[in-house]
Amino acid sequence: MVQELQNIVNTVRGNKGLDPVAAIGDETRLREDLGMDSLDLAELTVRIESVFQVDVFEDGVVNTVEEILAKIGEKK
Amino acid sequence: MNILLTGASRGLGLKIAEHLLSSGHTVYGVSRSKSDQLNALQEAYPDQLQFAAYDLTDASNIKTALFDELIGSDIPLHGFVNNAAMAYDDIITNLKVEPLQEMYQVNVISPFMIVRNVIRHALLHRNPCSIVHVSSISVHTGYKGLAMYASTKGALEAFSKNTAREWGSRGVRSNAIVAGFMETDMSSTLSAEQKERIYRRTALKEATRPESVAEMAAFLLSDKAASVTGQNLFVDSGTI
Repeated sequence: MVQELQNIVNTVRGNKGLDPVAAIGDETRLREDLGMDSLDLAELTVRIESVFQVDVFEDGVVNTVEEILAKIGEKK
Repeated sequence: MNILLTGASRGLGLKIAEHLLSSGHTVYGVSRSKSDQLNALQEAYPDQLQFAAYDLTDASNIKTALFDELIGSDIPLHGFVNNAAMAYDDIITNLKVEPLQEMYQVNVISPFMIVRNVIRHALLHRNPCSIVHVSSISVHTGYKGLAMYASTKGALEAFSKNTAREWGSRGVRSNAIVAGFMETDMSSTLSAEQKERIYRRTALKEATRPESVAEMAAFLLSDKAASVTGQNLFVDSGTI
C-alpha cells in the first residue's frame, strides 16, 4: 500500500516538474516534505481515489502519509 | 470532444446537443426525462449521444450517476455545459422557502457539485477542460418577479469567475453565457405583453435566438476559445 501511495505521490510530483522521492514514511508531511500545494493535494486525492476508492480528504484536511494510510485502511 | 450537458432534452439544451452532435462531438446528456426530440437525436447519432435520466434536485448521487455510471472513469471529459435550470418566479413579498430551496438545488448546488467532479475528472486525465454556465440577462438588468431566479444565475457567474481563477493553471477554463430571453419553455409562463416589453428593451427588438446561444457555447467549449476564461459573454439581442 505504501509503495502504491509513493508511486501516486511521484506521479503528482512529476506532473509539476519535481523529482520523484526515494521513500515516504508515516511522518512524511504532504506540504512541507513533498512540496504539495492545495491544487496538488486535490490531484493526489483524485489519484488515490481512483486506485483505492477512498476520498481521503472527504472528512477534512489530511497532513501526513500516516493519515492517508489510516483513511485507506479504514475503508478497506 | 466529450461534453457533459444538463437539461439536454428541451429548449436551449436540445439546440446545444444538436449543434455539438452535428460537429462530431460526443454528448453525455442529462435531464429528468427523455423528450421525443432527444430520442430523435439519439436515433440520428446513436454512437455519439449517451443519456442519463437524473433529477438535479438530488445533489447527493451526482458522482455515482453521472461520473461513474454515465461517463465512466476511463473516459476523459473535455467540457461541461451547465444548462439545466428551473424558474420560480414571483414578487419577493410572496417568496416561499420550499420552491426557493428546490430552485437553488437545481440551479446552483447540483451544478457546483458537477463542476467539482468535472475538475476532479480532468485532474485524473490531465486534460484541458472548458466549463460553460448558461446565465441570464436578468442578473444584470433586473425584472419584476425574477429576483430569486436571477440570484441563482448571479451565483453561477460568481462561481464561474472564481473557478477560472482557482483552476486556470491546471487548464480548466470557465465562462458564463449571459443569455437574453428566448422563446423556450423556461419563459412560457410570461404573458405576450410581458415578453413584448422585454424585447422592446433590446437593441434588436427581438427574442434571443437559441441557435446563437448554442453557437457561443460550442465556441467556448472549443480550442478556438483557448484564451477565453473567467468571462461573461452576453448573447442577449443587445439588451439595454
